[in-house]
Amino acid sequence: MTVAALTVKDLTKDYITKSETVHALRSVTFDVPEGDYVAIMGPSGSGKSTLLNMIGCLDRPTAGLLMLGDDNVAHMTDNQLADIRASRIGFVFQSYNLIAQLSVVENIQVPLFYQGNLNRQANRRCRELADLVGLGDRVSHRPTQLSGGQQQRVAIARSLVNDPFYILADEPTGNLDSRTTEEILTIFERLNDQGKTIVVVTHEDDVSERTKRIIRLRDGLIVSDEHNENRIRFTDEETSEVIPENSMEALEAVRDAQLAALTPATVDANSETAAKTSSSNDSSSNDDDHITLKGQS
Amino acid sequence: MGFITTWVRTFQLGIKSLLLHPMRSMLTILGIFIGVASVIWLLAIGEGISQEAQRQIEQLGAQNIIVRSIKPPAEALGDGIVAVYGLNNREYEMLLETLPQIEHAVPIREVKRTFQFQSVAVDGRLVGSTPKYYETAKLTIDRGRFLTDSDYDKNKNYCVLAKGVASKLFPYQDPIGQKILLPELNDFFEVVGVLKHRGATAGIGGSFAAQDYTKDVYIPLTTMRQRLGRTIFRRVGGSFGGEFVELNQATLQIRSVDEVLATADMIQDSLRHHDKMGDIEVVVPLELLEQAKSTRMMFMVFMGLIAGVSLLVGGIGIMNIMLATVTERTREIGIRRALGARQSAIIRQFLVETITLSVLGGLVGIAAGFLGPLVTILVRDGLYMYMPERMAGLPSTIKTMTPQIVEASVPIAFGIAVLVGTLFGIYPAMRAAKMDPIEALRHE
Ligand SMILES: Nc1ncnc2c1ncn2[C@@H]1O[C@H](COP(=O)(O)OP(=O)(O)OP(=O)(O)O)[C@@H](O)[C@H]1O
Ligand SMILES: [Mg+2]
Repeated sequence: MTVAALTVKDLTKDYITKSETVHALRSVTFDVPEGDYVAIMGPSGSGKSTLLNMIGCLDRPTAGLLMLGDDNVAHMTDNQLADIRASRIGFVFQSYNLIAQLSVVENIQVPLFYQGNLNRQANRRCRELADLVGLGDRVSHRPTQLSGGQQQRVAIARSLVNDPFYILADEPTGNLDSRTTEEILTIFERLNDQGKTIVVVTHEDDVSERTKRIIRLRDGLIVSDEHNENRIRFTDEETSEVIPENSMEALEAVRDAQLAALTPATVDANSETAAKTSSSNDSSSNDDDHITLKGQS
Repeated sequence: MGFITTWVRTFQLGIKSLLLHPMRSMLTILGIFIGVASVIWLLAIGEGISQEAQRQIEQLGAQNIIVRSIKPPAEALGDGIVAVYGLNNREYEMLLETLPQIEHAVPIREVKRTFQFQSVAVDGRLVGSTPKYYETAKLTIDRGRFLTDSDYDKNKNYCVLAKGVASKLFPYQDPIGQKILLPELNDFFEVVGVLKHRGATAGIGGSFAAQDYTKDVYIPLTTMRQRLGRTIFRRVGGSFGGEFVELNQATLQIRSVDEVLATADMIQDSLRHHDKMGDIEVVVPLELLEQAKSTRMMFMVFMGLIAGVSLLVGGIGIMNIMLATVTERTREIGIRRALGARQSAIIRQFLVETITLSVLGGLVGIAAGFLGPLVTILVRDGLYMYMPERMAGLPSTIKTMTPQIVEASVPIAFGIAVLVGTLFGIYPAMRAAKMDPIEALRHE
């Protein structure tokens, strides 16, 4: 039996404030196999962000087990958690969270700095990632000079730069219009196709219907956890069977537009080797390091 | 990535964020800058003043005891037309006989006189002394020779000019062999030598003003006694008065420095009868030197304290700015932490900024500190030009000193500046690092 990419068992989180104790999560249990693409849904305040923050090693559980691969992160030190964030997790926030005084490439570089991996190859990789998300011509722009969708694409490029095993996104499209949402989701989908394990918190059906699995929370408890029977995909025609007839044309148009926008996205496989050698300290990490969008390879 | 690369990167990052707020960074630097510059500057001025004081005292000779006649206030003198005061020859001989530790003794008599050569006249001081005066007063000859024993024994009308007099009276000629006229004596003196410039010495004989030797003319004491007689008559402000002074000063050189203080006490005892009139002062340069040294220590400590306080203020300025910066950049800190920055990386980031600020402040401060002496001199000379009367009242040590950079003050000031920057930067940096990443991310 292989170890699950993510094991959550009886995970509990209480926020103790002066006046009361908020039970944000009350004993949550589930596994995520490697390469899964999970949506976490639920009403506001149900504990989605709390759960994702803990998976992302940004927060510690009150009780329970939280395993990333073989490592129980529930009781790790602050430094250990920081190192895991630096090497194994790519986090995408609803509010982008770019550093305002840094340019696009510099923002993409930030995780490498803390991973201790900043060298010339890595620098090139940042530019390639900017290319990949369609911002190859904006690398020296400041976040304030970009639209919301562009900023979020920078944030995604940043989350990919340390070649993470997990991509965690908290309402990544919450501030974006439907067209930009499609672009972002297409990127996620392709990353997932390359083997990245993705967990995305959302309240939009547009987002969740493209994932492989949907976990629903309510008041800190899992109310449902099911395989997404009606999954919609666009990136690979052979596997996208369930696209409704009438929307096919429109969706294809969207995809074509995206592909046009992402033209220079082919990443030279050679340049990846340098970044790969020193990157992941996670033995179960995905060896296939190509972040090439499938549509063009 | 190597240790050095990490720091270089962090440093680049620091510079970048400092440049985002150039005005703020400048003001922060200013605090440290003033601190460092004032440490160097104040210590340099202190050192300059005390070196000058020490030089002036040393010029008097550590082995010497100087007995000097002072003109007492008019009330103490009584009503006589002729004011009688000071050390007389009998007392002088008595000191030499009773105190064998006196190796050499140089008596001096001095009067204000006019010196004239052809049509040029100069007011100066006519000093009668023995040939030994040359060594005791640490004179150096420029041209010709000083007075000799035979000049002294034969009451020669020879004189030696101080540099100032020589250049006034003989701007173009060689003074040696020329004869200058003393109109008041109606007598000529042949110039046998010219002295090199002699710096002022510490004021003695009840005055703080340094003694100025530039207008001196030296003749044998024997000649002076013969030509001037014992009483000197002068017209003072319309009324006619006379002074009877046998010796204005006696410089007694003691065998060894160890005996100086004890001998000074004995001399003071034997001249006790002058105490009432207060017309004699015994000056012990050695004592002055000791005083000057301890004054210097106090001065340095005092200056150091002032400068230290300004560095402290600079440090508080840094802390203040950094706390504001940390608050302002809470969100950035949250982002960096979320992307895998350890607490130590955040601390490093903010520390690098404060250290950069204080190093910059320190460097500029050192530069300004080095310019300080120059500025001090310029300001002083400028003041001389615009208000000479006021400046004349300043102590001579201030008038003539050159600020001396105390070498140790540079690394010390710089070190303290960086230390202050680091210490005051640690707290804001820790506060930044200790923030909860999620809380920090929520910060607007
Ligand atoms: N730092 C905190 N202190 C106290 N209570 C908190 C804290 N953070 C979250 N909570 C509470 O925990 C519960 C779950 O919050 P969480 O942010 O996980 O909800 P969510 O599912 O992400 O909601 P939304 O969809 O609105 O983002 C909420 O009731 C919230 O009030
Ligand atoms: Mg949320």
